[in-house]
Amino acid sequence: MICLISDTWYLFNKYVRITLRMPMWALFTIIQPLIWLLIFGQLFKNMASLPGFPAGRYMDFFLPGAVIMTVLFGTSWSGVSLLREINFGTVEKMLVTPVSRISIVMSRVIHSAFTVIIQCLIIFIVALIFGVRVSGFSGMLLSLIVVFLLAVGFSGISNGLAIWIKREEPLVVMGNMMTLPLMFFSSAMVPKSFMPEWIRIITMVNPIDYAVEAIRVFYTGVVSSEAVFAGFAFLVLFALVSISWATEMFVNQSE
Amino acid sequence: MIKTEKLTKIYPSGTQALDNLSIHVEEGEIFGFLGPNGAGKSTTIKILTTLSRPTSGYAWISGYNVQTEPNKVRCSIGYVAQETGVDYFLSGRENLVLQGRLYRMDSKTISRRVEELLELFDLKDSADALVSNYSGGMRRKLDIATALIHNPKILFLDEPTIGLDPHSRSSLWNFIRMLNKDLKVTLFLTTHYLDEADKLSNRIGILHKGSMKIVDTPEALKDSIKGDSITLSLNSGEKEKANSILKDNSIVKELLCEDGHVRVYVNNGSEAIPALMKLLTQHGIEILSLTISRPSLDDVYLKYSGVSFKEGDSSEGSNPWWAQWQKGGWGKKWKGEGKREGEKSEEKPWEKWNNKQEESWDKSKNQEEPWKKWQGKS
Repeated sequence: MICLISDTWYLFNKYVRITLRMPMWALFTIIQPLIWLLIFGQLFKNMASLPGFPAGRYMDFFLPGAVIMTVLFGTSWSGVSLLREINFGTVEKMLVTPVSRISIVMSRVIHSAFTVIIQCLIIFIVALIFGVRVSGFSGMLLSLIVVFLLAVGFSGISNGLAIWIKREEPLVVMGNMMTLPLMFFSSAMVPKSFMPEWIRIITMVNPIDYAVEAIRVFYTGVVSSEAVFAGFAFLVLFALVSISWATEMFVNQSE
Repeated sequence: MIKTEKLTKIYPSGTQALDNLSIHVEEGEIFGFLGPNGAGKSTTIKILTTLSRPTSGYAWISGYNVQTEPNKVRCSIGYVAQETGVDYFLSGRENLVLQGRLYRMDSKTISRRVEELLELFDLKDSADALVSNYSGGMRRKLDIATALIHNPKILFLDEPTIGLDPHSRSSLWNFIRMLNKDLKVTLFLTTHYLDEADKLSNRIGILHKGSMKIVDTPEALKDSIKGDSITLSLNSGEKEKANSILKDNSIVKELLCEDGHVRVYVNNGSEAIPALMKLLTQHGIEILSLTISRPSLDDVYLKYSGVSFKEGDSSEGSNPWWAQWQKGGWGKKWKGEGKREGEKSEEKPWEKWNNKQEESWDKSKNQEEPWKKWQGKS
């Protein structure tokens, strides 16, 4: 167990280092979520004046949506770099050492969750500047936990798919196919009361919707609703299932 | 040090990569494992380095069973794969430290070993530069250095000089000899370059279609074919005819037919040639060209496997899981194509790109040299 944690830590360290060495990447990482927030905030601005719209301004409503988009776009490709590492022989170099196989997947997943959390922090800061209502520091912290869980979940799926599909191009296509519809089938951009019945049913099994609702409540609303905690449990389950699937795939293949 | 018993590997696709392979490598040896692509070299190495499991049979490294005690095996061996697995976005030093961490060494030992290896491999000056700026030869050296970080007594090298220019190649050979001589590392290397196996190894094992044809010293192998070898190239239709004429001739010791060539082994080449030419022209067979040579490992290979080394079966049955998808893609549909691509796969687009980078790196080095000369003169 101690070995697992230290192995994961050293590999995580490596990925962070590599990330920091790509200045262009870092720049776009910061710019991208701002684009989501500002452009979408403007685009759907008038929706807020429709009768039955829950929040005051559209940007207040969309903030969790921007966070979720950042999570999805930041993590659903993380399997691509696993494939690259496999092709370069880097993974093989790890596998000839006694390093824990689980930690190879864990470090990748935690790294992508970590980068996403940084992006979300930037969104929160910008949101504060633009005057989005905030319920308090604890709400922000809880939101980041939700972000972490969702990021771990999707990054796990992407890594697992990478090993399953084994090719980069179809992996990218599948990543897009998975994340975009799931995002529209949630209340990230449109309040639930505006949705047709059948989409509302889909949202009930969509981890993204639970995350959006949780962040919305944590960040801008009251933290007490039972539904939110059920959603929280759902997200924990989602993250656990996805990461164990990815590890299972990897360990199976590497033997 | 390395021992296998009746090792067999059959891939899920049905390809039999290894067929009852038994090897015994002594301590302190350089063992050259020779065979064309698809002979099962990589598969053997993968099993011995715990990256793949045999279908049946056993393997031991330093007395540890590869299947039941993988972590003990991993700690006692180093492995240098065909693809340099070093991370391009880390510096040389960081790569070494990370590898030490993965072997779960403590910080003190790591920093001591890193300094030793940087010194040994002459990488001190570029230790803190990113690996993406290294030349191909330097990357190889770093790759070998990372495999030695935990001071293993056995080192596996899978096609160590593939894709290197002649200069880096010979300097790598010197390194390999030095490792064996000064550091007492037992080396197990696979290659499909005959000269490499000849020059480096104490003993050579010839692998063909998953089983060992012969194991001996390079000298003994070459001595097993005495005299000279004469290669005659003839018009395609006349091969059979020539074969029957030469077969019963007393000068000819041994005769082998290949694609478009007839290879004749004789005691004394310079004396045999006029007689051979006379004999063949008498029967109206035209000799297109003729070469005489001392027996090389290629002849040895031909003798023991029945096919010329160059024409050896190139189907790559030894794909590990990560190579399978880069070559074969997914689904059975591509399998057939993937097999034939054994050779091609070495030219992945990104590698080409790397090679370009190497070239430019080398060029910039060369450009520096005249300048240095000037400095020396003034």
